[in-house]
Amino acid sequence: MKLARHRQLDALIGEYMLGTLRGAARRRFERALREEPTVALRLRTLQHEFAPYYSERIAETPAAGGWQRLERELNLSQHRAPWYSRVSFLRGWALGATAAFVLGLTLPALRTTTETTLTPIAQLALKGAPPSVTAALSRDGSTLELRAARPIVAGPLQSYELWVIPQGGAPLSLAVLGQLDGALRVPEGHRGQLRKGAVLAITVEPAGGSPTGGPTGPVILSGAIS
Amino acid sequence: MLDELEIRRLLLATAARDVDAFARLYKRCAPLLLGVAQRITRRRELAEEVLHDSFTRIWRAADSFDPFGAPVGWMTTIVRNRAIDVMETHDISRVDSYHAALDDKPEASLDQMFDWSQADTAEEALDASRLRAFLRRCLGELAAAERQALVLAYEHGLSHGDLASHLSKPLGTVKTWVRRGMGNLRACIDRCSGNEGATR
Repeated sequence: MKLARHRQLDALIGEYMLGTLRGAARRRFERALREEPTVALRLRTLQHEFAPYYSERIAETPAAGGWQRLERELNLSQHRAPWYSRVSFLRGWALGATAAFVLGLTLPALRTTTETTLTPIAQLALKGAPPSVTAALSRDGSTLELRAARPIVAGPLQSYELWVIPQGGAPLSLAVLGQLDGALRVPEGHRGQLRKGAVLAITVEPAGGSPTGGPTGPVILSGAIS
Repeated sequence: MLDELEIRRLLLATAARDVDAFARLYKRCAPLLLGVAQRITRRRELAEEVLHDSFTRIWRAADSFDPFGAPVGWMTTIVRNRAIDVMETHDISRVDSYHAALDDKPEASLDQMFDWSQADTAEEALDASRLRAFLRRCLGELAAAERQALVLAYEHGLSHGDLASHLSKPLGTVKTWVRRGMGNLRACIDRCSGNEGATR
């Protein structure tokens, strides 16, 4: 029999709401709730009128770990959004990707700028040997960079001295170096000398450089500016 | 008082398998629902079990929650039914312990256990608030024996048999009090709402 047509439907609902409907009777009623919309609707109406609000005065603090147990037993993690679809992740990823994109665009540009402003002007080598140091000059002639194929470091009592020998002129000291790698500032008065036809030469001098102002030690590397 | 609007939203999101919403639902409602379970089981460890089982059920059955229904009422029903089942399966000699534990004045516990305040001003809430006021007034107008039976049954989940033992009355008498009490309550609320005669 349909419970919806039960003469005592309201009484049954009342007992259900009160909690005195027990055992098989309650199960039958709950089945009717699922199967008979009229019963569910009537329950909703009466619940609306009857259900008192529990006061928060009766609230108690649940034992710690209650939520974790639910999470574990219901395997809730499988319903959590995967890490790559979370908003916070996407937001972070978007920021990172944008930054990487911008850097990807600007870094090569910076590098190109640096590279184009430094133009190789001479290959320095021991006579008859393959070049071991490349000299490159900035466009404005203020910076000279020495790039060594392998580290060339002066001994404790020595320094290297870099000279420019203009065509038909005397050697002019550009720098005293501890090692043949790195950029150096070209003395303003000598900038005009770094031009085609001049020769770059490196001599070994006493620590601190030539005591005389002119080369005193052997030339280890030299190369014409082209 | 729990914000019904917020709880409804969380419950509907839970039905859509939103774990974060379910976590918030737990955080907001677990304390009150534990209190409801505790009133019926009278044992903390059983109440905690009831709470756990109830939230398991809430997660699984959230999609059967009627979006127009009362969300807290829906969850409360789950907790009360579960607590009643647990008490029955644990075969606890409830009457012995209850004789000592139960309030002698269930009328007083009505105002302890429930929130009859009418602070809400939203139209829908005002409606619910008025109904609560009717319910409280009508409970007060019931015969003392009927009111006592209803409050004991609702608050502590007592069955007809439990009530008969506790009140030392024949089972038939108690059943009549319960049934007549509910009938009178409904008639009174209908009268208050101006709906007298509208029910079958």
